[in-house]
Order: sequence, then structure tokens, then C-alpha cells
Amino acid sequence: MTLSLAARRSPGPISRLRKDRAFLVAGLWAAILSVTMLSFASLAHARQLAPDNEVTSGSLLLRARDGATPSAVQLGTDMDVTVTGLTARVKVVQAFRNTSRDWVEATYLYPLPEDGAVDSLKMVVGQRVIIGEINRRAAAREIYEQAKAEGRAAGLVEQQRPNMFTNRVANIGPGETVLIEIEYQAPVRRLAGEYGFRLPLVVGPRYAPPGASAADAAATRAPVLDPRRHAGVNPVSITVRLNPGFAPTGIVSPYHAIQIVEGAGSTRTITLKEGSAPSNRDFELRWRSAENAPGVELFRQRVRADDYLMALVSPPESSRRRTPPVRELVFVIDNSGSMSGDSMRQAKESLKLALRSLSPADRFNVIRFDDSMTELFDKPVLATREQIALALRYADQLEASGGTEMLPALRAALVDDTPEDAGRVRQVIFLTDGSISNEDQMLAALGANRGRSRVFMVGIGSAPNTFLMNRMAEVGRGAYTHIGDTREVITRMSALLERLTRPVLTDLRVVTHGGDAEFAPANLPDLYEGEPLVLLARASNLRGSITVSGMLDGRPWSRRVNLNQAVEGVGVAKLWARRRITDAEVGQRLGQISAEEAARTIAQLGLDFSIVTRETSLVAVDRTPSRPQGASLTEEELPLNLPAGWDFDRIFGAPAPDGDRSSKAETDDPGVPFDLPQTATAWALSMWSGLGLALIGGLGLMILRRRRRRL
Amino acid sequence: MKRTSPANGKGGRRWRALPTAGFMTLLIVGLCLVGQGAVIPAKALLAQVLLERAFARSQSTGSPVKAWPWADTVPVARISVPRLKVSEIILSGGSGEALAFGPTLVPGSAPIGRTGTAVVAAHRDTHFRFMQDLRPGDVVIVESVTGDRASFRIQGGYVVRNDRFAIASRAVAPVLILSTCWPFDANTRGPWRYVAVAQAKPRA
Repeated sequence: MTLSLAARRSPGPISRLRKDRAFLVAGLWAAILSVTMLSFASLAHARQLAPDNEVTSGSLLLRARDGATPSAVQLGTDMDVTVTGLTARVKVVQAFRNTSRDWVEATYLYPLPEDGAVDSLKMVVGQRVIIGEINRRAAAREIYEQAKAEGRAAGLVEQQRPNMFTNRVANIGPGETVLIEIEYQAPVRRLAGEYGFRLPLVVGPRYAPPGASAADAAATRAPVLDPRRHAGVNPVSITVRLNPGFAPTGIVSPYHAIQIVEGAGSTRTITLKEGSAPSNRDFELRWRSAENAPGVELFRQRVRADDYLMALVSPPESSRRRTPPVRELVFVIDNSGSMSGDSMRQAKESLKLALRSLSPADRFNVIRFDDSMTELFDKPVLATREQIALALRYADQLEASGGTEMLPALRAALVDDTPEDAGRVRQVIFLTDGSISNEDQMLAALGANRGRSRVFMVGIGSAPNTFLMNRMAEVGRGAYTHIGDTREVITRMSALLERLTRPVLTDLRVVTHGGDAEFAPANLPDLYEGEPLVLLARASNLRGSITVSGMLDGRPWSRRVNLNQAVEGVGVAKLWARRRITDAEVGQRLGQISAEEAARTIAQLGLDFSIVTRETSLVAVDRTPSRPQGASLTEEELPLNLPAGWDFDRIFGAPAPDGDRSSKAETDDPGVPFDLPQTATAWALSMWSGLGLALIGGLGLMILRRRRRRL
Repeated sequence: MKRTSPANGKGGRRWRALPTAGFMTLLIVGLCLVGQGAVIPAKALLAQVLLERAFARSQSTGSPVKAWPWADTVPVARISVPRLKVSEIILSGGSGEALAFGPTLVPGSAPIGRTGTAVVAAHRDTHFRFMQDLRPGDVVIVESVTGDRASFRIQGGYVVRNDRFAIASRAVAPVLILSTCWPFDANTRGPWRYVAVAQAKPRA
């Protein structure tokens, strides 16, 4: 319209106006273009910011200070426990769901009871079920690695510690779920008339002392999520089918809310009230018998040509009032970083309770350790009121931080000034969560230096290292007590202090009548109040009877057990094998057998009984390749929850220890997180986009002015 | 003509005022951005000149001297890379502001040249732009206010995430780490850092 109007006046302005307009439009286009180009450029850079693979750089790239990030592979676990008599069969199904678009290999570090025997692995990929086979560790690893490289689905179960295992699952397709089912056999524990078992659900971060093998430290460590940033992962659901053979009463789960359904006869089904729980603390179930506990419980199983026997023999309750012996007590309390939070409170309360129970004739000392160590007194002192008060104050001011150097503390605690003093019983009481990875060194040192000292372990916290606790107590001829909750301090510690007074049954011996038998444990322990003797045996033909004898409160005692009374038991053979394996491991650490001999024995038992041991692994491999050639495989270590009650900062965000430590350089320096400041000003971007905008503005104004002047 | 009618004229003027205002805004915002952008390298350059003087004075008096009266940091050392003809004054890392004036010794670092890890950070687009040309084997010389001179040799460069970075807790020798943002030509901020690790050269 305007154009036609102008056309009637003169031809000049039209073309000029047209030119102006064209110029204006062109200018605008140029401006838009330049701005978009700039933003594109920055977009491209933004994409460049996240490279596909983190550039690894030896010791520089360390675990995240803010904790790990949840992985693309998500894990759900279901545990199905069947308790028959005094054995538990546990079926663990781990569902690895790959939520990413890549092919993934997932690695998951998880705990199992240290006396459990893992004997079955099944892998479900799509419609296919693949049964795992037992192999020597190295061979199994080779089979797995080959399948992984060829793009076939594969699963591998390896033992890192008797209570710590790793599952590897290779070639989980995008969006796919692979199920790994393992089964294990574990004994039910009996203590002071109570039965129970424990399902460890999380591996607490372990401290590896300097000089430890870096590969081993890596194998026993997994990324840990900061509980303040991430909700609990790895949910677990638990079903327990309880069939103890008697009517159970007083079923309790001290750390999880449970639901109990009564079944036929004496069976009970127990499930978690919430359905599932994050795996951040161990599950425990305990029950009692409505009837009086029998003195002897016998189970037998026939596998192939052999008979296996499990016998629980309870010493009679001591009738006479026992006068406690005069003692020398050394308390060793762990105040390392892993103890921070609830654990430290529990340990302090326990220590104080024990200190108050001392009688003035006792002698005592207190040793605390983290990565350093202090002894309260130079040598044990008489437990006078003043000394006790001093020790109580000392206990109060303890704070948890630093590493866990348990070995020097153990050595110090075992120093005995008066080894010939028969009138005094020497006892060492450890209060710790056992979050270390040098268990072998500890056991070897204890075996070599135990002397007449007896070692009692008090396991603290929601996920203590029960393998260390049980073996230390066994080698140290003491007992193990667990405190998982502050409310348990008084009851558990009182029971322990009561048991501490003296072992009830010593110098135990077992004699068979009619046929030979291989017994486990090879070295029978001393028994404390309420503890039964758990005896496992194998014989080609089990008949007749056995006699258990020893010294009860200083008097000879013996008991004849008729083997005809034995009832059919489940999994007794596996438990026997597991116990023999433990014997071989302990024997090696104590220098009783050579490392080669131990390895040979363990491997043979592992292969014969199809049990995962440190020498044997279960491996399952799919026959058909699933990952297309050329598609890459991403490796993921599944992050773990921090055990409940632990303080994340004390373990991962620990402030730098003072600069000049006199220790040597190590390859496995855990490192101190260090904040690198933001060092980008982006002044060039600001300047160039500013220039662009100013140019558009200036050009536009110029054109408008020229137009206005003309009109 | 119709365009001279008052009503029309008023509407036209209003129509014409809009783009004028728009372009004016663009021009002003643009100039502001240019100014803002240009101030950064200008500040960085000028500060180094002042700092160089303060450093010289500090060295002669033996104690740190502020480059300007209201400065909240002091020069602590001079870092130079002879091959790249770089020489800059390092500031004590007081606040984040210091980064605008020069490379700073990040809080938590060990003193440069002493046993432990010293971390020096600077902007990738000003003082530490030279880091993209740094090669393993390059010699870095650090001269402190007190006159101590330490030579380091670059071991290598690594790209790390700022939340996954840690330094050795039990170093046995002096280590110097230079840090800047990565990638060098990016225009956005991100979690990535480029660090160059240098080990002390044994004194000849």
C-alpha cells in the first residue's frame, strides 16, 4: 500500500526505500546469525566439557569427596532364608537392571556370613537360565574375561574375604535386566539359649594400612554414596521361613521392623514390614525355644559315600556360685574415622560400663588407636577408685577420626609384664568395628604373641567385620559379642562381663567309639557361659557314639553322645567343608601349615563341595553372544550405602592430617580432597557478544537516522 | 498527502520511536558487555604491572608488601616458564577476588618449594592461558619473596573433575600443581580442570 502510494510520487525514493529496507533486513539477519552462531559456539563447547571417558591419571583421580554417584545399573536384592533345625539355606537373587543405552559390566561388592558356604550360581538372561560351575579362581576369571570380550553374558562370584564377595556381570544389554541367584548354607548360632542368624547387607568402607597391596585394597573397596545427598540404594527384601523343629517364641529382629505369620506346626514366615529396606545395615533374627533347650542337638546328612554330622553340645549350667578370678584387663578401643557417630558412642558407653565393673583387686589399662595409638598407663595399674575415674574421663574425651592401624594396638595389648603370674587371668577386650583389610596380619600377630592372654572382641556398629571378630576370638581363645545399637550396650556388655569372669569349659577333647571321623574345628575352643560346642564331623560310616570331655570349673566333665539320635539335617556336609576351609586358613596364618598346603587343601575342598573359596570361584557363561561387535562395554562399580550410623565426612571428607608425617611414601596414598577454584572468566565471550550487539544497535540507529533525514 | 495528517503522523512517530529505542538498548547493552569483558584482561594486565613492582619492593624489604593499599592479598612468589617466556606474580590466595589479578596459591596448599603439594590456580583465559602450551619436561621456576628459588619440571598434564581431585596426603617431596579450567577455548563454566604436575628438580 505504501509502496504503491510512493510509486505515484517519484521513482527515486522507492528504490532508496527499498534499498534501505533490504539493508535493514539484511542487517537484522546478520545480527541474528551472529548471535546464534555465538550461542552455537558456546553450546559446542559445553558439549565438549564432558568427555566420554574420564581421563585417568594415576593417583590424581581419586574417589569422589562428595561420595559416589548412583550408577546406571540398578540393583535390587531379594533374600529367601529357610531355616531348618540349626542350618539356614539362603537364596540371594540380585537383579541388575541396566538403565543406560550402553552395554555394561557391573561389579558389586557385598558381604555374606563368614561361616556361610556359597555353592550355587544361576544367571537368568532373558529366557535363558545358565548354571554356574565351580573352577579354580584363575581359571574362572579367564573363562569370564573371555566371555566378556566375546560379547557373551557372563557372571562370576569371587571371594575377597571369607565374608566379602564380588559379583561381576558382563554384557548387560541396554535396558536389560540380568538376574544372578546365589545360594549359601550357613549355620544357625546359639548363644545363652537363644538362636539366631545374621544377614550382613553392606560392606563398610575398610581401612587399608600403608604397605598393603594396592590390588587387594582396590578389591575390598567400592564407591560409597553420601547418605545426605542420595536416597539409599540397593533395596533388599527378606523372607525367612523358620522351621526350627520346635515352637519358636520371642522372635525378634533388633534392627528391622518385621512381620511374623504363623504357619502349620512350628513354622513361621517372617518378612520385612516395609517390604524392602536399603542395604545399609545388617539384618539379624533371633528366637528362643518354648521348651528347655536340650543339652545335645544332633544332625546328620549322607552325601555320596560319606556321613556328615553336626553336634551342638551345651555344657551344664554351673550350679555353684563362682568367685570371679583376679584379672588383668586391657581394653583396646578403636577411635578411627569409621567409628564416628553412633559407633563411637556405643564403644564409649561399653568401655565405661566395663570400667565400672572392675573390682579393686583387678589391674587394668586402656589403649586407644586410630592411625596413632596411646596407652593410658605405662603398664596395667590397680583398679582403684581414682584410676577408674581417670579412665572414665579419658573415655569421655575420645573422638573418632583418622585411619585404623589396629596392628600396633594389638601388639601393645599383648605385651604381658607378668607371664608367670598364674593367679591372675589376663584378658584383652577389643571394642571396634573391624573395618580393616589386613585381617591376615592381625591373626598372624595374635597367633604368634597371644601368650596366656585371651582376646574378647566387641563388635560395634551396624555392619561390623564379623570374619575378623570371630577369628580373633577363636585364635585368642575368647568370645565375640556384637553391639549394633546403643540400646544394646547394657544388656550385651553385662552378658559379656559375666562371661569374662572365666571360661566354663576348657581342655575339650572328643573321642569316637566305633569308626574314625574327621572333626572340625581341628582345635576345640574353650567355652564360655551359654556357649555350646559346635562340632562338625565326616566319617565313612557314622555309628556308635562320641564322648566329649573337658574341665568344667576345674573339675573333669564328660558327656557321651549316642549318634543314633541324630536327625536328618540339611547342608551339614557343606558346613563341614566350610569349617575345614576355615581351619586351613587359620592354620596357615598361625604357621601350622604352609601356604601351598593351605591353598591345595582349600582348592580341593572348594572343588569337591562346589564352594566359593579364596581359591575357587563360580562362573556362568551364556553360549550365544549378545553384544554386537563394535559396541563398547562400559564398566561400572555399583556404589554402596554407607552403613547406618556412620559419619560420611569423617571417612571421606577427613581434613588433611598434619603435613609432616614421618611415614614413607606409599603407592596407596588415600589422598586428601582438594578444591580447585573456578578459573574461567569468559571475558572473550562477553566481549564478542557485546561487540555483536553494539554493532547491530549502531547499524540500526544509523539506518534509521539516514531514513528520517531523507523523509 | 495522507502521511501529513496529524493522527497518522503521531502513529508513525510512535512506530518510528520503537526500533530506535530497541537499537539504542542493543547498543548500550552491547557496549556494557564489551566494557565488562575488556575490564578483565585489562585488570589482569595492569595488576601484574603493579604486582611486579610490589614484588620487587617485597624482595628488597624481605616481607610482603601490598600492591595497592586496599588489596586483600599480597604477592608471595614469581612463577616463570622460560620456554614460554612467561613470568607472573603469584598472590596469596585470600579471596576469589585475587584470581582477577594473578595466579593464586590455593588455600590448603603447602608453601611452594617445601615438602607437600602447592596448588597454584589462575584463569584459563588470562594468566594461565599459557598452560595449553605447557609440555612435560618444561621447567617452571618459582622465586619467593624471601629470595628462595625452586625449580620444578612438568611431569604431565591431566584433565580432572574438581570434585574428584585429591592431593597426596603424605608427600615426601615438594610438588607443584598448576590448575586452570578446561577446555581452554570453552566459554562456559564447568566442573573440569586441567592440572599440570611438576616435581622439584634436585638442586644442582
